[in-house]
Amino acid sequence: MLSLKNLSVRYGKNLILNNVSFTLHRGESLVLIGESGTGKTTLAKSIIGLGDGSYSGDVRYRGQNLLAMDPEEMARIRWNRIAMVFQNVESALNPLFNILEQVAEPMIEHGLHSPREARSKAGDLLKKVGLSTAHFLLYPHQLSGGQKQRALIAMALANDPEVLILDEPTSALDPVTKEEIIQLLREIRKKCTLLALTHDLAAASRLADRTAVLYGGRIVETGPTGTLLSDPGHPYTRGLIRSYPDINGTKDLQGIPGRLSRPKRGCPFEPRCTQGIDVCKEAVPELRETGKETRRMVACHRGGIVPLLKTCELSAAFGRVRALNRAGITVFEGETVALVGESGSGKTTLARTVMGLQRQCEGEVYLEGVLVGKRGRDFYRKVQMIYQNPAESISHRQNVLEAVSEPLEIHRIGSPAEKKEIVKRVLDEVELPSDDEFLKIYPHHLSGGEAQRVAIARALVLEPKLLIADEPTSALDPSVQAKILKLFLNLQEKRGLGIIFITHDIALARKVSDRIVVLKDGYIIEDGPTGAVISSPGHPYTRRLLAAAPALPYGLGKGVPSYTDKCLSM
Amino acid sequence: MFRLRDSANYLAAFLIILAVNFFLPRLMPGDPLTAIYGEEALVHMTPDAQEELIQRFALDRSLGEQFLEYCSALLRGDLGYSYYFNDTVSAVVFRAVPWTLLLVGTAILISALAGSIAGMESGWRRGKRTDRALLAGIMFLEGFPDFFIGMIMLIVFGVVLKVLPLAGAMTPYAGYTGLALVQDILRHLILPASSLALVNLGGTFLLARNTMVSILGESYIFTARAKGLRERVVSYRHAGRNSLFPVITHIGIQFGRMVTGALFIETVFSYPGLGLLIQKGLQARDYPLLQGVFLVVTVTVLVTNLFVEVLYKKIDPRLRPCISTTGRKLETTV
Repeated sequence: MLSLKNLSVRYGKNLILNNVSFTLHRGESLVLIGESGTGKTTLAKSIIGLGDGSYSGDVRYRGQNLLAMDPEEMARIRWNRIAMVFQNVESALNPLFNILEQVAEPMIEHGLHSPREARSKAGDLLKKVGLSTAHFLLYPHQLSGGQKQRALIAMALANDPEVLILDEPTSALDPVTKEEIIQLLREIRKKCTLLALTHDLAAASRLADRTAVLYGGRIVETGPTGTLLSDPGHPYTRGLIRSYPDINGTKDLQGIPGRLSRPKRGCPFEPRCTQGIDVCKEAVPELRETGKETRRMVACHRGGIVPLLKTCELSAAFGRVRALNRAGITVFEGETVALVGESGSGKTTLARTVMGLQRQCEGEVYLEGVLVGKRGRDFYRKVQMIYQNPAESISHRQNVLEAVSEPLEIHRIGSPAEKKEIVKRVLDEVELPSDDEFLKIYPHHLSGGEAQRVAIARALVLEPKLLIADEPTSALDPSVQAKILKLFLNLQEKRGLGIIFITHDIALARKVSDRIVVLKDGYIIEDGPTGAVISSPGHPYTRRLLAAAPALPYGLGKGVPSYTDKCLSM
Repeated sequence: MFRLRDSANYLAAFLIILAVNFFLPRLMPGDPLTAIYGEEALVHMTPDAQEELIQRFALDRSLGEQFLEYCSALLRGDLGYSYYFNDTVSAVVFRAVPWTLLLVGTAILISALAGSIAGMESGWRRGKRTDRALLAGIMFLEGFPDFFIGMIMLIVFGVVLKVLPLAGAMTPYAGYTGLALVQDILRHLILPASSLALVNLGGTFLLARNTMVSILGESYIFTARAKGLRERVVSYRHAGRNSLFPVITHIGIQFGRMVTGALFIETVFSYPGLGLLIQKGLQARDYPLLQGVFLVVTVTVLVTNLFVEVLYKKIDPRLRPCISTTGRKLETTV
């Protein structure tokens, strides 16, 4: 029905759209998501032939190239075949005409109906989108945002178009109106081919079967909407999801580091990506099928978000006691996996086995897809661990400088001056003072929080990709703990750090993790996205953990002001 | 549609202008009697005659009493007596008013139509060749003072080409009637009206063009184009109508100013309108005449403003109260 092939749009020197291709079949619906400035509106405008800028590539509608069409032919396609619902609800309607006239206008002007018929049909359409007859003769300034949006939708449907383009159809609306408009659009979807452009993920998920993610003028990921949003393949997609305030999400909102830029060559997302390799700077990745499922494509040299650590059937035993039984976990780049369970459930054993501090009796550990045998320096450059008690994990004979630079010593990195520079930078990163005085302090002069930060700095000094944190905050008081957790999340956002977060506190896990793995007696009994595990735990043991989670009894049920009872009874 | 409160504003404005209109000429230096009859005539004038004149215009009483006298006379439709023309002021003024209205009305009609259409077209084609040519040409015309353009027109069409009459509003003593009279009047009208229109074209053009340019950036223009409407429809129905508002205001203001501003043109073409009358009244310090003219001009300006206001409500639904558009009160739905 509608297909784009290598569409590029250029404003002056800026390449706004870069080789965008997709095909929409009859009756299909596709949603394009992306931040503002990624070229969504430009795309919509170029399909309807009203963009400015220079074009290359094809926009084909039923085989005809719209870009090569003369203006009169194009005018016939507009609204009759391809109609659009505009982004700017407040000013997309002409203030001088009532909505009935505006809805009727395209029918009259395209010669489909006589003015009288057109008006009566316009009335039907307005009724269909949920406006009452009292509103027909109103002018845009007399309508609310939702009513204007309805009028715009009615207007778009006026000439029975085959393709409907929706540019941010719901972004200016309040949630209730938004929901109603989405319902309406879902009705319309049954008859029209729908192309929606939005940054609203929830709206996207309900509007279309397929989703394409647009970044820097390129499509970086496509796939069925549901799986794409629940299991994003491209780091940008995950960034969008993480920064979206989802009612079911429990982890703190995280942004995407950096800001939108358009590098001359290489992957457009490279400057903001935390898993970039050399080739990302050089070549533009093509959209490729991933192993995940059919029709799922990701444009990434690394094949999407990389699985950092994978364990298969990992078991460990103390004598005849099996402390860990065939545990399989996967930690992706930039992801926090919380290992939750009571003491003795095998959390620490799992961590220590991964680190090679505990002998595994069966199973394999893969780091970045490579089987890990004997842990050498290379392994520890990439995987570091933080322990529960910082006072014990830092030798009392080392001052801060010595403690933090020790890993550099071991890996023989840098001259003494360089080492000091690195240490100072890392201390800055963990929000500790980096002056010479502080560097000379010994651990017993540090507070618990400071000592844990020093331990974190020591773990980060080699810039590892994976951090295993074993109860890193349980020895700290809550306010210090909150700060340390924020620090973890910021580091993760900035560097794409994968974190295995071991805790017995499921309330804490809920705030920091993307996925929760519940262990009991050495077995993994539950593994899923945090939101899902918290809201509908599958295993009775998880339910027990949740019931036992710390909760403040105050504040609940106090959301309703006391006087509403009176108001309601009146 | 038009409420009492709005008319009250106009009434207040009218009264204030009435007062200013009365006091201003009184504050001018010189004695009206001296001005009208000249020093010598006054010397020869009998004290009785002089006394009678003073009595008639209440010049011997206080300003306040003069004003009251003025107002009550006004109510009777008596604007006073012009020494210079030796006739009642109302007669003199109302002989001139139709000519000025004809001249200014025609000029405004031409400049408003041509100016806004040219402006819209120019704005629609912003940056293209037509736009640049129009812009340059009109700015060039705008640079000349009105009497200069009038003189050039007069020389070219009246003296060199000899196709149009040189002066006056009609051929005197020709005894034309019916269609011939209309034709004669139109022939006399062409030059002054087109000079006046040319001078006033620039402002309207620039305003229409600029508004058009900014309106074209509005989302609803994009909507209109996306609807596949013809260019004419987009440029006139959607952009044009929206860009008219400042132009209408401008024309309303222009009209009031032109009634007196036509002075130069009327002088150049000896067109017997209010402008010429003002000039003569000023030279002779003919207070009653001047007051009469100013009053008429004031009323014209006020009426124009009122007209513009009503027009605005007619074409801009945003200024209309809800009830008049739907015929009933809004219910809260959806």
